Amino acid sequence: MSNNLINSTADNYFSMLGLAVSFDVDKTTLSHNYHEIQKTIHPDNFANATDLERRLSVQKTAQINDALETLKNPLRRSIYLLSLYGIELNDNDTSIDPSFLMEQMELRENLSEVASKEDPLGELDDILDDVNARIKRAINDLSDLFKKLLFDNEKDESNEQLLKEVKAQTLKMQFLNRLQEECLNKEEDLADQL
Amino acid sequence: MALLQISEPGQTTAPHQHKLAVGIDLGTTNSLVASLKSGLAEIIADENGQHLLPSVVQFQAKNDKGYQTEVGYYAQQNAAEDPMNTIVSVKRYMGRGLEDIKKHSIYNFVTEDDSVVPRIRTVAGDVSAVEVSAEILKTLKQRAIEALGGELTGAVITVPAYFDDAQRQATKDAAKLAGLKVLRLINEPTAAAVAYGLDTGSEGIHVIYDLGGGTFDISILKLTKGIFEVLSTAGDSALGGDDLDHAITDWIMAEAQINEPEAALLRRILDAARQAKEALSQQDSTTISISLAKEKIWQAELSRQQFEKLIKPLIRKTLLPCRRALRDAGIETDDIQDVVMVGGSTRIPLVRQMVGEFFSTEPLVDLDPDKVVAIGAARQADVLVGNKTDEDMLLLDVTPLSLGLETMGGLAEKVIHRNTTIPVARAQDFTTFKDGQTAMAIHVVQGERELISDCRSLARFELRGIPPMVAGAARIRVTFQIDADGLLSVSAREEASGVESSIQVKPSYGLSDVEIETMLKDSFSYAQDDIDARKLREEQVEASRVVEALNAALEEDGEKLLSTEERTEIRQAIDELVEIAKENNQRAIKLKIEAVDKVTAEFAQRRMDASINKALAGQSVDDIR
Repeated sequence: MSNNLINSTADNYFSMLGLAVSFDVDKTTLSHNYHEIQKTIHPDNFANATDLERRLSVQKTAQINDALETLKNPLRRSIYLLSLYGIELNDNDTSIDPSFLMEQMELRENLSEVASKEDPLGELDDILDDVNARIKRAINDLSDLFKKLLFDNEKDESNEQLLKEVKAQTLKMQFLNRLQEECLNKEEDLADQL
Repeated sequence: MALLQISEPGQTTAPHQHKLAVGIDLGTTNSLVASLKSGLAEIIADENGQHLLPSVVQFQAKNDKGYQTEVGYYAQQNAAEDPMNTIVSVKRYMGRGLEDIKKHSIYNFVTEDDSVVPRIRTVAGDVSAVEVSAEILKTLKQRAIEALGGELTGAVITVPAYFDDAQRQATKDAAKLAGLKVLRLINEPTAAAVAYGLDTGSEGIHVIYDLGGGTFDISILKLTKGIFEVLSTAGDSALGGDDLDHAITDWIMAEAQINEPEAALLRRILDAARQAKEALSQQDSTTISISLAKEKIWQAELSRQQFEKLIKPLIRKTLLPCRRALRDAGIETDDIQDVVMVGGSTRIPLVRQMVGEFFSTEPLVDLDPDKVVAIGAARQADVLVGNKTDEDMLLLDVTPLSLGLETMGGLAEKVIHRNTTIPVARAQDFTTFKDGQTAMAIHVVQGERELISDCRSLARFELRGIPPMVAGAARIRVTFQIDADGLLSVSAREEASGVESSIQVKPSYGLSDVEIETMLKDSFSYAQDDIDARKLREEQVEASRVVEALNAALEEDGEKLLSTEERTEIRQAIDELVEIAKENNQRAIKLKIEAVDKVTAEFAQRRMDASINKALAGQSVDDIR
């Protein structure tokens, strides 16, 4: 990778799983590498080993599992990448544009009214489809931004600006993910009542 | 695999000796034990050729031989005559509090002041569910020792995937009481998948629908080249064949106008209900007859149609978790290769029909649904004790329930989400809110709901020994770890000063260490045994395990990963341990093992890192420095 900021982080989740640092992750390679590592360090290989080795194996495996969970999920991946640049997300960030927030409020309102509709589950499916489509678009946007960021790092000023954009986009992803989670919780509640 | 060189004279290492290991399915209704015999997993039968051991324990009054317990068929036959002392379906009480278990139970539950675990009052005294389960495990252990002709190295015990931490811990405690070394607790559906997957060798996504006597599990697994990766699991740890029996029981009581039957009559009705249920899997209708008091007999006909109407709401209840598991796995029904039916209750035609309709595929019923879990567990046990080194098999399981912490306002904040692959560790930072505060309480819960009161309380931890600082200055990092058995452990550390905080655990359910120790002392199998002698033996076994493992490690990687000085230091530590282990001083051996751990920690770390690098580099690179 050409970025020196990232190069300085020797032991990151990407290198742990034998991948280059990038927002775009090849799922097949990821899962293949994960399996190969698990075959050697999973606690099942240490059932007869010393307590020390067993403890170490549990710790390492937990670390690898965490790396996998992070790299598998686009939102967590993005947050993690930002953290490699020294940027932390926080909930009180005001950098999101107001029109996006208005949209979110509308979607949430629709969600809260679902239960009173004639076909609540059908209605919910529509909302969920919409949210999923938005998430897909957000992932594509993030991927484009990260590409520019990682390869266009000569000009520090533009990188600053790009990082800000990535951060804003990641915050939007977080909103959308929470909305998706609420939709799924709602679905469970509705199904429970059937 | 490098052959182990025996370098120390008099050392008892025989690396290629076949070790005896078993798989145990500790079921609600029936339990089984299986082992591998020349590569084939087989259920071990009792002296009468019976495979199943009914999970029924009868406690008898003290006679000249002391207290006697009866386990299995004989106990089952006595259940109607001696209902209060004959415990059936004890699995439903494992890791549960009094409130959860009172319904539909005929037993006389009592609680002791200093314990959170309810006990059943019997003629042989008050017994906890853990002790009852231990009796079943002892019987299976004895059966295995007799059939295999030697002591067992260890056992894999299966638990429902949806079992929470308290239920898993209770199962492990029962094994400890029975004198079994638990190699691993594995989830029943995963065990079934192992049995199925290895038999059919089929790759792809498999659904295991496991409806047993008292629990329901659904697991979705992805099978790739010997790796069983659980994508999601869901279920209900209090829904099973017993509940179908209760539905019939309620119907009988309504029809026969029986109100509040005494224990013996209720036992007879429950038995009749179970028999009717089993009959209706084969026939279109069955006659139920129950002898009431004073030689009166009540009789009625139950048709399959009526039966299905009674149980349909319960079967429908299993489809909700199925939906959720699909969602969590992120797959559609089209992606599924097949649906495997496990558990005795899947013999019911309506269950097969409704599950088939839900997944739009004909469910697989090739293997005996009662035996498949024990078979899978036996295979895993064989791999874990190291009998099979040629076969690539790895189980990657998940935690079924989210782990959360209580926050302000009685809300649960999730630290580890359900369906996260285990082992998993998550750290959470806390701070003090008062000047000079030195202690802090943490409440850990398991469950999916937002309110603490809707989740299951696991334990309350009290952190002590926080160095006094101004409010907000301390940073206490608490690490929650779920191991490969699905069991939680918690550790805490004050980051600013590096002080390890001590943790006091008050489990909300389950036996304390002290209670277990007392039970071990009291338990029949250790009555003639000296506890100290047992501890010494265990420590010596551990010492020889350390020596064996380290010699193997040195042989394999010593040249590559250690300097000459480091090798000499480790060799010397091993020699010292070998010497100390010969003496009968448990404490000294324990201390020496700890010392050896310190000397070899760096080596172990390097070995772990080297094997990761090797795994990533592929087979072509064998020399990593």
